[in-house]
Amino acid sequence: MAEQHMAANSAPTEASAEEARLAAFQARIDAGEKIEPGDWMPSEYRRQLIRMISQHAHSEWVGMLPEGEWIASAPSLRRKLILIAKVQDEAGHGQYLYHAAETLGATREEMVDALLEGRAKYSSVFNYPTLNWADVGMIGWLVDGAAIKNQVMLAGASYGPYSRAMVRICAEETFHHKQGQEMIRRYAQGTPQQRQMAQDALDRWWWPAMMMLGPHDSDSPNTPQLKRWGVKIKTNDEVRQEFLDEHAPELIEAGLKIPDPDLRFDEASGHWVHGPIDWDEFWNVVKGNGPCNAERLAARRQAHDDGRWVREAMAAHAARQAPPASARAPRTGASA
Amino acid sequence: MTAADLKSEVSAALVERLTALADDELVLGHRNAEWTGHAPILEEDIAIANVAQDEIGHAVLWYGLVQELTGQDPDRLAFFRGANEYRSSALVELPRGDWAFTMLRQYLFDTYEAELLPRLMRSAYTPVSEVAAKVNREELFHLRHSALWVERLAFGTEESKSRLQSALNELWPLVPQLLAPLEGDALLAADGIYPDPAELAAAVLGRLRTELNRLELTLPALPAPPAAGARSDRGEGHLAALLAEMQSVARADPAAESW
Amino acid sequence: MSAAEKPLTGADTQWPRWEVLKKDSERKPHQAVGSVHAADAVHALLMARTVFARRPAAVSMWVAPAASIHAFTAEELTQVPAHSEAEGGELSRYLVVVKSTNRRSMTFGDLKGEVEASSVRAALDLALELAGEEPVLALWLVEAGSVVRSEPDDADPWFGPAQDKTYKQQSVYSSRATASKDAAEGVPR
Repeated sequence: MAEQHMAANSAPTEASAEEARLAAFQARIDAGEKIEPGDWMPSEYRRQLIRMISQHAHSEWVGMLPEGEWIASAPSLRRKLILIAKVQDEAGHGQYLYHAAETLGATREEMVDALLEGRAKYSSVFNYPTLNWADVGMIGWLVDGAAIKNQVMLAGASYGPYSRAMVRICAEETFHHKQGQEMIRRYAQGTPQQRQMAQDALDRWWWPAMMMLGPHDSDSPNTPQLKRWGVKIKTNDEVRQEFLDEHAPELIEAGLKIPDPDLRFDEASGHWVHGPIDWDEFWNVVKGNGPCNAERLAARRQAHDDGRWVREAMAAHAARQAPPASARAPRTGASA
Repeated sequence: MTAADLKSEVSAALVERLTALADDELVLGHRNAEWTGHAPILEEDIAIANVAQDEIGHAVLWYGLVQELTGQDPDRLAFFRGANEYRSSALVELPRGDWAFTMLRQYLFDTYEAELLPRLMRSAYTPVSEVAAKVNREELFHLRHSALWVERLAFGTEESKSRLQSALNELWPLVPQLLAPLEGDALLAADGIYPDPAELAAAVLGRLRTELNRLELTLPALPAPPAAGARSDRGEGHLAALLAEMQSVARADPAAESW
Repeated sequence: MSAAEKPLTGADTQWPRWEVLKKDSERKPHQAVGSVHAADAVHALLMARTVFARRPAAVSMWVAPAASIHAFTAEELTQVPAHSEAEGGELSRYLVVVKSTNRRSMTFGDLKGEVEASSVRAALDLALELAGEEPVLALWLVEAGSVVRSEPDDADPWFGPAQDKTYKQQSVYSSRATASKDAAEGVPR
């Protein structure tokens, strides 16, 4: 009897302790404090962040491939340099993001395995092929343009390492967008072949970029909780509207035609309005049936497999030099 | 001295030599850039992309000096010359191979530059000495990086050592051609514009032999040094395939003045 | 066990993690900017330069194995017990890195200095004294013996060239107005 009585009393105490922790956590976020590695956080917050951050990291890493293919045939020395630097930045951005996910307890080995085994998602926009040189510029304009909108928002995220990675990425991403715009504007006013190349690229990348900003708010179940926890500051549709309002007029001004027959400027609201998005295609590509899903992952797997002997050789060399691993009880691995 | 001070045959010899320096950097940079997105680990992907950018940047500088002498645009030189007009060495033209091949090739080339560039920094021709100083500054890090890799692979696992040795078997015989003078180099050396080719070659080979022996690698026998001007001899066609891809977009629209 | 503590057995790993401290200029302290994966200390230093010095500016780069960092959260810092004097033992040096603001930033915290103590607990006390009046929202003690540093002579070759790579700096790209105009007039790059 006594034990049952005590058991009955301890359950509410635990529940209220957990509620108190959650309330304190929410208060920190509402006060604009950053949550740092090692801080108490709801397990759902940790889970959502690992999901978001690792997906973001995978997107950067896989995103190197569609544009990387064009480094070999970049048509001027300057364009070649710019493209190598851009693709290098994408690797760097993946690197910052994997680091942020690691601070939450994910390991790079686990994340790499999840990606290569097809268990992890990444931005579907990178499952489309790059068919001509101007695609490189159009990706810079539209895809990086969309990414910037997202990243600027996420730079205010409540989780410290994610926010810091985003601030660093934002500082570097603007160059990606601007070099793309410069290229496309030049081609839109260039030779007939260049103009056609630029228009063809727009025809193929416009909708993937619009869809990249995520499903409509009505189909985004995670968004409200992520907003409460300060991880997302705006909804997908809000960011998509910003993207449209900025880039539609600029593309038209450059002399290109946007492949949306329903696109118009609404005087009353002062916003651009777009036609319906084909979400079937989006979900199909997300599920892995896009034109290049298999190819992208195969390339990543090949690189990983080809590199195994290299990683092992470095590790073997280091093991011979270093003293045995410290007997000190490991911390969770300090991170910033 | 500057361009105005050059006698015409010295100027012609200098254009050839600068073109060879630029072509080596561009071709090597192109090969290194092929690793972007495919390196053994993320950090090294970033590293090799940096080496590639540096090298292409060096090519831009050396082509710029050619432009000062001939008026030719660097992009026209890079994208509209055929394989038989390029003056790059066979060493840099070979496909990238595996990581051991790429790192060893890089190490051989970086060591060559570590001897060449300080000598070029003393060139009597001012533009060369200035460009050499810029290039040398970046090369210091390249050599740190490639030397680290060659050492790690030599003393890593049986597999890494074996791959490194295979790479050396293929690359070492090509070093003499890298070091062989062009026909006009003697003229340039006489005017203090370019180092004495024999002295440079001896310094590079001596340094490499010492280090490769320290790494317990076996050096294959070297072929006799090729005749001066051997870079014009296009044996294998690696460069033709490389240029076909590299120049494909530019040549598809030759009327385009600006990309 | 995190990757930082996995033994290097020759099995396929992504190598251990090394935290990176970067000094942007003579006026600024070293700051924690992120981490790199590398198999050994020298490689970690070269990778730190590779990942964090692609663009200006930097004058010095340090790396330390993640496993040699003792990290304290805000909550842990409020629970520090009084330091007991009776701790014998060898003195160790620790670098002190402090996060003192929630303001949006690329960096986690600043190097405040070094302390020497015979235990981590004692070092923490000294570190908090070092921080003085500044808020301490999070703190690291980095085992000084494990830190690997770039040389002063490395600064020019490692960090200088980034200044010249203007093609990847967004400030050199024209604004919308001039770009359209340039394109229309066929102004070459």
